[in-house]
Amino acid sequence: MIATRRRLPALCAAAVAVAAAVWVLFLATDTPAGTAVEHPGAFAVTVLDAVTFAGLLFVAASGFTLIFGLMRTVNMAHGSLFLLAAYVAIGVQQAMVGKTRNIDAAEVGIADWLVPMLVGAAAAAVVGTVIQQAFLQWNEGQELRQALITLAITVVLADQMLREFGGLAQRMVWPGAVTHFITIFGQRYATTRLFMLGVAVVIGVLLWLWLDRTRLGMIVRAGVDDRQMVRGLGINIRLVFAVVFFAGAFLAGVGGVLGASFAGAAPGTDGAWLLNALVVVIIGGLGSLKGAAAGSLLYGTVVAFSPVYLPSQYSFYAIILTFGLLALVLAVRPYGLYGRPA
Amino acid sequence: MRTGSTVNRRTAALLPLVAFLAALPSMAPAFFINFVMTQTLMLGLAAATIVFLAKYGGMVSLAQFLLFGVAGFMYGNAALEAGSRGLNLGWHPWAAVASALAVTTAAAFALGALASRTTGLYYLMLTLVYAVIGYFVFAQITEISGPSGITSIERPELLAAPVSLYYTALGLSVLAYIGFRALGRTAFGLALQGVRDDPVRMASLGFNVPLHRTLAFALGGFVAGLGGLVNVWWNGQIDPASIGIGPTLILLIIAVIGGVSHFEGAWLGAFVYVLMFTYLRDLPLIDRIGITEARFNTVIGAIVLLIMVLSPQGLAGIADRLRRRLPRPRRPGAERPAKTTGRLTRAELIDE
Amino acid sequence: MRRLDRPRRTAALLAAAALALAGCTDGGDSTGLPADEGAGPASGGDGVRLGILGECEGPFGGFHEDVVGGTSLAMVNHAGAQVESATSALDGFTGAEVAGTPIELVGIGCGDDTADRILEEVRRLVEQLGANVIIGPLSGDEGIAVAEYAAEHPDLTVLSGISGSQEQTLQVQAPNYFRFFGDGAMWNAGLGDILHNQEGWDSVAVIADDYSFGHTSAAGFIAEFCGVGGQVDTRVFPPLGTTDYSPYIAQLPGPDEVDGYFWAVGGTGTQAALEAFVNAKGDLTGDQHAGNLFFNPDLAQALGTDIAGAYVGGFATLPGDVTTPAIEEYLASADETWESLPGGVSGNEPAPPSTAAAFGFFYGYYSAGVALIEGLEAVEGDVSDPTALHAALSDLTLDLPYGQVSLDENRSGIVDVGLSQLVVDDDGEIVQEAVAIIPQVDQSFGGAFGPDTPSPSRDFPPCEERDVPWEGEAIPVVDGVPQR
Repeated sequence: MIATRRRLPALCAAAVAVAAAVWVLFLATDTPAGTAVEHPGAFAVTVLDAVTFAGLLFVAASGFTLIFGLMRTVNMAHGSLFLLAAYVAIGVQQAMVGKTRNIDAAEVGIADWLVPMLVGAAAAAVVGTVIQQAFLQWNEGQELRQALITLAITVVLADQMLREFGGLAQRMVWPGAVTHFITIFGQRYATTRLFMLGVAVVIGVLLWLWLDRTRLGMIVRAGVDDRQMVRGLGINIRLVFAVVFFAGAFLAGVGGVLGASFAGAAPGTDGAWLLNALVVVIIGGLGSLKGAAAGSLLYGTVVAFSPVYLPSQYSFYAIILTFGLLALVLAVRPYGLYGRPA
Repeated sequence: MRTGSTVNRRTAALLPLVAFLAALPSMAPAFFINFVMTQTLMLGLAAATIVFLAKYGGMVSLAQFLLFGVAGFMYGNAALEAGSRGLNLGWHPWAAVASALAVTTAAAFALGALASRTTGLYYLMLTLVYAVIGYFVFAQITEISGPSGITSIERPELLAAPVSLYYTALGLSVLAYIGFRALGRTAFGLALQGVRDDPVRMASLGFNVPLHRTLAFALGGFVAGLGGLVNVWWNGQIDPASIGIGPTLILLIIAVIGGVSHFEGAWLGAFVYVLMFTYLRDLPLIDRIGITEARFNTVIGAIVLLIMVLSPQGLAGIADRLRRRLPRPRRPGAERPAKTTGRLTRAELIDE
Repeated sequence: MRRLDRPRRTAALLAAAALALAGCTDGGDSTGLPADEGAGPASGGDGVRLGILGECEGPFGGFHEDVVGGTSLAMVNHAGAQVESATSALDGFTGAEVAGTPIELVGIGCGDDTADRILEEVRRLVEQLGANVIIGPLSGDEGIAVAEYAAEHPDLTVLSGISGSQEQTLQVQAPNYFRFFGDGAMWNAGLGDILHNQEGWDSVAVIADDYSFGHTSAAGFIAEFCGVGGQVDTRVFPPLGTTDYSPYIAQLPGPDEVDGYFWAVGGTGTQAALEAFVNAKGDLTGDQHAGNLFFNPDLAQALGTDIAGAYVGGFATLPGDVTTPAIEEYLASADETWESLPGGVSGNEPAPPSTAAAFGFFYGYYSAGVALIEGLEAVEGDVSDPTALHAALSDLTLDLPYGQVSLDENRSGIVDVGLSQLVVDDDGEIVQEAVAIIPQVDQSFGGAFGPDTPSPSRDFPPCEERDVPWEGEAIPVVDGVPQR
C-alpha cells in the first residue's frame, strides 16, 4: 500500500514527462515552433537554448547550494553578490578596452573578458567573506536568523548599488574570439551561448574535482555529513567555513559576470537571479551539486520550451509553467530531486 | 507550555489598549488615523498570519502577501461592474467579499497542500517562489488583472466613511489576535504545535501531519484575505506590483521587526515600519547625516539587520528579555530559544 | 478548564466591543469624527503648497534628481526661485513667487514605479504635509492611480510629471488632472507614416515588453502603421524580467519574411533582445529596425553601430542635434542654475545639468512647473478658488523650448513629436539625429483610441486602416534645423 502511494506521484511525473515529449514531437502543430518532427531545426535550437541557459543557471546556483550544503546558511545576498560582480567587471572591462559605450566584440580580447571576470568575482568573494565573518559565523545553526540577516544585507546592498552604479542597464561584452555563428539544421546559432555552456561545464568539473579529489574537499564533504565529527577531529571548521563561503561568493560572482555578458545588469537583476537560484535548488535539492545540475537542466528546459511549444494564443502564460514544474517535482520529492530534510 | 495566568494577564492588558485605539479617532489628526493607523492595523493583520504559521506550525511563509493580494484581486473582479480590465462581474459588494474570501482560502489550501511535506528553510524558499509566481499569474492573465491591475475599486456603502475602515481593521485585528491565541489551546492548535516540534512522532501517533499544516495554511490565508480586503478598500486599486517581491519582503520584515514568535509583534512591527516610512524622513537634520528619502531602503535594511543581530525574536523579543531581567521567580522552560521552527530548535541543541 | 474561562470571557467582550465599534459607523458618509474631515488638501490659504512626486527606487530610481530638477528649473526661470544646492536638485528651492503668491515646496515623494507606493506618497504629501498642488508622477501606472486620487479630491491640482499611460487622461478624465506632454503611444507618432510611405515597409513584426508601457508604445505604432495601410504580422510580448529572450525571438518571422521590426523592449531587455535577434536571425541592419524611445543610445549604452539607420520614436524633447534659440536658452539656464547634477542619463555621476535637461524625464516635470506658473499668472495668483485655477490651466497654450503645447478636452497635451534616426558620428559613436517633427499630435490617433476603447493590450488596437490626422504632415529636419 505504502509502496503504491509512494510510487503514484512518480508515475504521474513520468506520465507528464512522456505527454510533454509526445506533444513536442508530434502534436505541437499550432505553436510558434511547430512539431519537432516537422521542424527539427526549431527543436534543435530550443534544446540548445535550454542546455546553454541551464549552464548559466548552474553557475548561479552552484555557489548558493555549496554554501548551504556545508553551513546550512541560505544566503539571500547571493543575488546581490551576483550583481556586484557584474558591475565591477563591467567597470574593469570598460577601463581595459578604453571605451564606455558601444564596445564591439571585435575590440574585446580574451583577457579583456577573463581579467574583469576574475576581478568581479574576487570582489564578490571578498564582500561575501566579510558578510560571513561579520554577520554569520557567530550565529551558526540559526538558519532562519541567518536568512533574515542576509535578506537585510540584500536590501542595503541593492540600495547602495543603485546609488553607486546608477539605474541604467549596463552590459559586459563577450570576447570577439568566441563571437561567431554556426548553422544547425539551417538555423543560425551563436557560439557565445556555447562558450557560456563551456564555462559552466569547466566550473562544474573543477568543483567536482575540488570536492572529490582534494583534502579540503574531503573535509567539506565530511562537514556536510557531520560537522561535530569534523570538529572533533581537530580540524578548524571555522576556516573551512570561511573558505567555502569565499568559494560560494566567488561562484556567485562568476555567474554575475556570465549573466551580465548574456543579459546585462541593472537594478532588479539581483532579485531575479536570487530567484533563479532558488528555483534551481528547490527543484534539485538544497546542498547538492548534482541537484543544482539537474535543477538547472529542468528549469532551463521549461524556460526554453514553454514559450515556443505552447499553443500560440497561450504562449503568454509560459512563465506560469515554471510553477507547474515546481509542483510536479515537489509532489514527487518534497525536498527536491537530490535533497534531503535539512 | 504557558500557564493560564499569563494568557489571562495578556488578554486583560489588551482591554485598555483596544479602548484607547477605539477612542483614538476623536483625538488624533485625520492623517494619523486614516493613513498611519489603518495601514498599521491591516499590515499587522497580514503579518500576524506569518506569526501564526511560524509560531504554531514552524512554517515561515512568504506567501501571505500573495494571499492578501488574491483577496483584493477577487474582490475587484467581482465587485466592479465596468472597467477597462478584469472580469467586471458586477456582484453585490458583500457577495464579492464572500467570494474573495472563499477563493483566497481555497488558493491557500491548494498552495498549503503542495508545500505541506516541507518545513523550515524549504518552506521559506518555496513560499517565496509562490509569491513570485503569483505575481506573474496576475501580470500575465489579462482576464483577471493584467499588468496594470484593477483600478477604481469602491468600498461597500457600509464602509464609505474613511474612519470606518480604521474601525474595520481594528475589529478584525482584535478578533484575529484573540482567535489565534485561543486556537493555540484547542485540540487542533496543540496538534499543530506537536507537528511543529516532532512531525515523526505525531505521524506515528496517527495525526495527519500534512493535513494539519495545510489547514493551518488555509486559515492563515483566510485571515490574510481579510487584511487584503481592507487593503483594497483603502487603496482603491490593486495591481501585480502590489504583491511583488518588494511588498512580500516588507511584510516579512514587519513580522521580523516585531518578532515572529509573538502575535503582538506583528502589529508592533507594522506600527514601527509605518512610522519609519512616514515620518523618518521628516525628522530635522536626518538628511544632514546622509539619510535622504532616496536612501530609505538602506535605513530600513540597516534597522532590520540591527534587530536581527541583537535579537532574532524582534522587538517583542527584546521587550520580553528586558521583562525577564526583572527579579521574578524563573519558571522552567521560560528560556525559549529560537522557536520559529521546530527543526531549528533541535539543530541548535545538537550543534551547541 | 476553569482557567480558560476568564480569558474567554474577556475575549468575547473585546470582540463584541470591537464589532460594536465597527457597527457604529453604519451608513452615512461621515461619523463626525475629525478623522473624517480634512482628508483632502487644505483649500483656500494664501499660497501654493507644492509637492513633487519623484522616483527614487525601482527601474526609474536613477531619475529622481532629473525630475525634481525639472520642476526646480521652471521655478528658477519663471518664478524667481533660487536652488538650495549647486550640485543636487533634491535640496529643493526657495523664494518662488508668482503674482505675489508664494510657491512653497512642502515635500518630495519617493515612488518606486508601483501604483500602491505612489498613492502612499501622494497621500503623505497632501494629507500630512498639506500640499495643494502636486507635480508628478513619472511612470504610467502611477499616473492612473494619481489621476484617480485627483478625481476623489477635486480641490487638489495635479500636473502629471512624465507619466506615459493613456488612461490617466483619456479614461479617468479628472477635471483637476493636467498633462502638458504626450503619452507613450503619441511618442511613436509619425513612425508608421515614415516607415510605410517613405521607407516602403508593408509588413512589420512588433516586439514589446509585456506591461502597460510596452503595450501603449506598441499601440501607438500599430495604430498609425496600420492606419496608413501597413500590416502588422506578428506581435510578441516577452514578460518583464525575461533573462533569455531567444524563445521570444524565435516567435518572430525571419528578416526575409517581413519588411521590418518595431522594438519596444526596455531596461536590460533592449540589448539582450537585440543580441538574441542577432544570434538567431542574422545581423542587425538599420533599414529593417525601428524602436521606441528605448533605442536612445543614452539608455542602451551598447546599441552597437550595426543598427545605424534605425528610426527612433520621440520622448517629450527633441534629439540633441536640434538647436533653436529657445532650446539653447533653456539648456543654458540649466547650466547656470546648477554646477552639476547627478542625473539618470549620466549614470548618476555628476554631469552638466543640460545633459539631464535635454532628456524627457527632466523636461516633463519642467513643463508641468511652467504650466503651474502660467496658470497662476492667469488667475493673478489667487488660489482660493481651485476651480478657477483648473479652468485657467485647461485653457493654457504653452510656448515651451521644445515646442508648443495645448490641452485637449481631457486635459492631455497636444504636442510636437520629434523622430530621429540612429547615426554614427565622427568619433564612431552611435547618436540620435533628428529627421522629422510631427506637429500637433493628440491622444486619439484619428479615433483609434477614445474614452470607450479598451486600454492598449496584447491585441488592442487591431490592425485597421483609418485616417491618421498627421499623415504626410511631418516637418523634415535637416542638420538639426526644422524645415517649417
